[in-house]
Amino acid sequence: MTVLFAVVIALAAVSALGVVLSRQTIYSALSLVLTVSMLAVLFLLLNAQFLFAVQLIIYAGAVVVLFVFIVALLSPDAEDRPTLDLRAVIGIAGVIVVTALVFIAARNGITYNTNGFHATAVGGASDPYHTFKFPQDTVNNAGNVQTVAGQLFTNYLLPFEITSMLLLVAAIGAVYLTRRSSR
Amino acid sequence: MLNPNLFPYLLGLSAFLFTVGAMGVLIRRNPIVVFMCIELMLNAGNVALVAYGRFLNSEEGQIFAFMVIVVAAAEVVVGLALITQIFRLGRELDVDDLSEMKE
Repeated sequence: MTVLFAVVIALAAVSALGVVLSRQTIYSALSLVLTVSMLAVLFLLLNAQFLFAVQLIIYAGAVVVLFVFIVALLSPDAEDRPTLDLRAVIGIAGVIVVTALVFIAARNGITYNTNGFHATAVGGASDPYHTFKFPQDTVNNAGNVQTVAGQLFTNYLLPFEITSMLLLVAAIGAVYLTRRSSR
Repeated sequence: MLNPNLFPYLLGLSAFLFTVGAMGVLIRRNPIVVFMCIELMLNAGNVALVAYGRFLNSEEGQIFAFMVIVVAAAEVVVGLALITQIFRLGRELDVDDLSEMKE
């Protein structure tokens, strides 16, 4: 299990770098497929079976196919390899600093539990990870998709309906933007 | 049972994906790649939401990650429509040249 997590996290990180650093746009799109698929596996390992399916169908199925379609249609020229100018230096420094800060913060237990934000040393008696009520795998027993759908269609029904409105607006906007006579 | 020591690595992956996406938005000039980097940033948010939801034993993280996926799908549809329209106007696909949206 832990080995699987390590492999998935490493592949997702490497292919995310591939999205940014590939010279050809089509290679960026293929790296994005790998990233999205690895994140889908990560969702499955984190007991989010519904999101695993949604991630594969919507991202790997629809969004990336749309990207590949646009790349094939427009066939943009290969860009020069990104140069190491000021923007790139700031970006690389930002990646390293933010990742390290978040990792260290999470490792030292600055996290959220039912009592609010906590900053306690890892491994101590007051370590939130030692006092956490970890899942009794009730979620597994009930069927994860079932519990998610139960929440989605009761407590979160209004946001769910608003997302359908958003998709309608996006579809109308796309049709408006790509109509033939633009004036 | 999930090992609780995994949690910092998941948040670290989330931060890494987000900042790599932000770096891509900064340094790439092709708008298609910029959109892919925005997708990376949205996915990073999803990883953090699902990880928190798993470790706090709540479904709400998954529900909000689902909403984020819907927003990402809507965003990519409109964005790619804009890119095809820019291409139809005969402009070069380069975000540094597209500093104004006049026709």
